[in-house]
Amino acid sequence: MNALQVKLIAEGRINDKFIPLDIVFVDKRDIAAAGIDDDKAIRAIAGHLNSPCGINIFDLDAVTTTSDGIMIEGAIVEMTAADRGKINADFGRLSMARIPYSEEILALEPHLKQWKKRYPGRALYRGPNPATKIIPVHNVVISGRASNNNSATEMMNIVTMEEILLPILGQMQCLKGEGNVLVGNTGAVISVGIGMTVAEQFGRVFPTRQFKAGETAHGSGEYAKTLKKNIPCIVADKAVLAGYIMNALDDGCLPGRDIGCSPAVLCVAKHYGAPMDLDNIAGRAWEELESVGINRAFLEERVAPLSRPELLARADELIPGVEDARALPAAEVARAVEIPLA
Amino acid sequence: MRLMHTKLPEFIAKMKNAAKKGQPEKAFALRGLENLKSAKMQSLRTGRIEEAVAELASRPDVERVELIVMPRVPETMHTVVIKGIAADGSSPKAVVDVVNILHPTEEVELENCREVEDRRPAIGRH
Repeated sequence: MNALQVKLIAEGRINDKFIPLDIVFVDKRDIAAAGIDDDKAIRAIAGHLNSPCGINIFDLDAVTTTSDGIMIEGAIVEMTAADRGKINADFGRLSMARIPYSEEILALEPHLKQWKKRYPGRALYRGPNPATKIIPVHNVVISGRASNNNSATEMMNIVTMEEILLPILGQMQCLKGEGNVLVGNTGAVISVGIGMTVAEQFGRVFPTRQFKAGETAHGSGEYAKTLKKNIPCIVADKAVLAGYIMNALDDGCLPGRDIGCSPAVLCVAKHYGAPMDLDNIAGRAWEELESVGINRAFLEERVAPLSRPELLARADELIPGVEDARALPAAEVARAVEIPLA
Repeated sequence: MRLMHTKLPEFIAKMKNAAKKGQPEKAFALRGLENLKSAKMQSLRTGRIEEAVAELASRPDVERVELIVMPRVPETMHTVVIKGIAADGSSPKAVVDVVNILHPTEEVELENCREVEDRRPAIGRH
């Protein structure tokens, strides 16, 4: 029988953290190899698992951006929520919009200088085009109990109300079965960091260029660090994150002006000796950063700049974020599974 | 009559009556409107829902009828009013904001239903 290769993070517990639904990652090349289309693949997965599940389809030849504007290789191109084999006809699926390259968009979204310099010619996907949605809901798909939100980077069971954060870099490692991922609680630092977004048309979270680098989408002062604090997450090895952040810095992106002012970006920039536009960070963003110990004095403290290999080796120590985490092989967290095809 | 609306208590009474019509022994339960204190319900659909309640209640293989009302759009944006109230009952300041609420879709209620007849119009129609 023909089968589709996928990666599955099964509902249950990993490192004592609760995975609230089945999570499936699929490489579009595997869909093509199985000789089927996306629709058949999604329905086969949903029917085989017969559980509340989120399904993300990836294009590894494309690129995307993290919420703080770091460009990475690989992108989610379609997200689905399914429950007991059913996919809600109106709200169960969404495709991400391919962003056309132009000099105009580079002027409006300065973090995309990474696209021009490092990944020319590669397709860029972030969030969906709101015009493709039946009504202007958030970048979310829902079927029954299952919800796949923020352009496929957080999933939840709406009935049990349990949720998990899945930042894109950790998903990429799980899909490829590469290295370790951290399974832990999101914690205060990432809770603050995910609000330090960049301005993007059809972004992962916001459909318009609502918040610029240096601002905070949270705008909730000392409460920002509590928003996702106790929610489980699966994130990339910090060295993987550090590598991509250094790429952005090498490409001339200024934290606080071109890319977001998240704690991870700022801490890598500080130790890499890269310039930052601290004057462009808004007061409300400072308030949130200071609530997790990132203040101007800390960032302006003179430290000996580290080389790329040195920073990669010390990434766990230098990049704050994730609480009660355990490093586990990505190939164990997301198991290779064959979905039978009729 | 198509554009008129039914009072909430009247809507609830109509549904109970429709379930009991001709078979008072059949049980009826309504969920999903508990938080509403006053509302006007679309009359056109009220009649159709009454008809559906009566139709299912009249089936010999049905012992009880459940009527569940849930948001069709699974993410609803709500206005939030935060009011500070003074001792004399006046409000020196209010803040108005929004919050999005995610809801499960109808599939959570349809498990084990052997037949589902979807009579809803397409989204955007009434």
